[in-house]
Amino acid sequence: MRKNKLVSVLAATGLAVATLGFTASTSHAAVFQVRLYVSADTNVENLYLKELIPAFEKAFPNYQVDLSSFDLHGKNDALTLAKIIAATKAKKDAGFDVIDAGFVQQLGLSGYLTIPTTMRVPNLVNVPASLIALSKGGVPYRASTVLLAYNSRVVAAPPKTLDELITWIKANPGRFTYNVPSGGGSGYAFAQTVIDKYLTATEINTLVTEINKPLQAKWKTGFDVLKSLNPYTYGKNGTYPSNNAATLSLIANGSIDMGTVWSDQFLSGLKAGTIPSYWKVAQISGPALTGGPAFFGIPKTSRNGVAAQRFVNWVLSPAAQNIIVGGSLNGYPVIPVTLLSEANQGKFAAGTDISTLRPGYLSSNSTDFKNQWALEVPGK
Amino acid sequence: MSASVTNQVAKESFGSKDSKLSLLGFFMALPPILVLGIFIGLPIGLAFFLSIGYTGGLNEVISIIGQDIRGREGKLFTLQAYKDVIADPRFAGDLKTTLIVSSVATVFVLIFSIGIGLLQRLRGGKLSSVLTALSLTPLFIPVVISSWALYTFYGSAGLYRTIFQSFGLDIPQITSTMLAVIIGSIWTSLPFAILMVTSGFQSIPNALIEAAQDAGASLITIIRTVMLPLALIPIIIVATFTSIGVLGSFTIPFFLGPNQPTMFGVEITNFFTAYNRPQQSVVMAFIVFAAASGIAISYIWANFRSAKESGRV
Repeated sequence: MRKNKLVSVLAATGLAVATLGFTASTSHAAVFQVRLYVSADTNVENLYLKELIPAFEKAFPNYQVDLSSFDLHGKNDALTLAKIIAATKAKKDAGFDVIDAGFVQQLGLSGYLTIPTTMRVPNLVNVPASLIALSKGGVPYRASTVLLAYNSRVVAAPPKTLDELITWIKANPGRFTYNVPSGGGSGYAFAQTVIDKYLTATEINTLVTEINKPLQAKWKTGFDVLKSLNPYTYGKNGTYPSNNAATLSLIANGSIDMGTVWSDQFLSGLKAGTIPSYWKVAQISGPALTGGPAFFGIPKTSRNGVAAQRFVNWVLSPAAQNIIVGGSLNGYPVIPVTLLSEANQGKFAAGTDISTLRPGYLSSNSTDFKNQWALEVPGK
Repeated sequence: MSASVTNQVAKESFGSKDSKLSLLGFFMALPPILVLGIFIGLPIGLAFFLSIGYTGGLNEVISIIGQDIRGREGKLFTLQAYKDVIADPRFAGDLKTTLIVSSVATVFVLIFSIGIGLLQRLRGGKLSSVLTALSLTPLFIPVVISSWALYTFYGSAGLYRTIFQSFGLDIPQITSTMLAVIIGSIWTSLPFAILMVTSGFQSIPNALIEAAQDAGASLITIIRTVMLPLALIPIIIVATFTSIGVLGSFTIPFFLGPNQPTMFGVEITNFFTAYNRPQQSVVMAFIVFAAASGIAISYIWANFRSAKESGRV
């Protein structure tokens, strides 16, 4: 009797599971999948998981975006890059349809990306041509810049130029720092900005757009200036915080009065209350701290190339750009500010032109730069 | 005659059973050997060939991505990558830092563990139990957490400086220095050392110590001539494990050490990811491997001696 009951319960469960499975598989039949690979900080992870992906799936119910490949701080970038190159060489699917990582330009330069066109990605028309040229086959989709953060209770008038900043650093020993260039972009931006001061505009442009070893010899003057700052930066012993977050925590606990930060991370920190409200940011000039776009890349052998381009196109739409600007990330758009909602337009000073952000060097040059910095500056 | 035949048969059947068992043993050992061979042996082999300039085949992709890769260019092999690494100004500093931190940490770990071990063996009581229990705490705290805790404790705004500050003393911060790395390494290596050394001292029979006491030996003499020699093998094992462990450590020097010079664990990671120089990082790994092998020889010697003492060899 009891056994019979058990059997009938089992049968009912089995039937239910079967029906569920059936309905699930029928509803999956029409779903296009986009597999994302993102290597970035947690603020970008939140942008995707909590904002962009839900909004995209709401707008396109038959699309499903899979972000199971998130790589915090890009620790596995080298491995992923190897995987994509190996797969493309073997003409096989790499396992990703859209890549958002620092190595997108490198993939593009070697010809491993599908070059986007306005036919499949019509929203590209709104993206400044200079940004597209920079992307080497990738698609710029958001930007951010590095700014000078300062404690407004201590610093009444922040430095306006790089020269003034260096004077301030030397006048206030131990109260400024930037992180190790290989550990995060905010410190990298400061180091490159000091170096760029001693290069011509053409030389900088060459390093931004092509691999050029001989030109790297001209970095020497800038490195000497950076080295001369060792006794004046935080710790006063030629050691530097290891990454962006380490700089932010020095800001949070009052160990420094000035530091270089990512615009988006700083604004998110202010909103979350992890950075005291009396901290402010400013841009310097002569030259300005670097910034620039983040790129999407679509691998040539991607299995879902068309769906991938649909997703990329949507991210370039004003709706999605509004999320990037107005959401938790506080990013910069890659389309003209005038296309954004009025509330978001108000976030930028009139005449803000994202195409004039000073970009960082091309990845291979910037890798050499990080290597050289470690050789020339810390502990000297 | 028939008896000897049956005996022979019995022997043979026993022998075949024995060989069957050894065959079974071989097959049971096969999976771990295969796993080691495929997942550890093969990558090490590949890495070694990359380090001497074999950039084709399975090393092709990493050679495309990596910067400053030295190929053998038709020759049998090239040591150019090794020359590059040794000529790099960072190499000497890193080597010095790694050796100093490893040896200083090992010496202190030995002093502390022998001290606590002797206290527990000779005096016992509450104090030694509390000390032993406390010294085992790091065993239960993940290294990442403890490094971060040490970083905040010794950092500029940490408790350590705050206490001195409240007495008007401005002492220099010790994070981002080798001293902090040594403190962290001692902290993480101590529990295992204390477990080994105390058990070594505990296994010394009371009779030996009492006999020495009756013969009028002083405490120092007893420790020097009876206890330390009898616990020599666990002490050597502790010394080798601690120095090899510190030699290859990453987390502690990454959190607590200076940017430059740093320990090899951190530098290898930097070269592999941040500077995109996989070949040079592999070369450094082989240099560290060679150093660790040197230390491992004394471990093998200790094992061999203990096996000889117990009559296994």
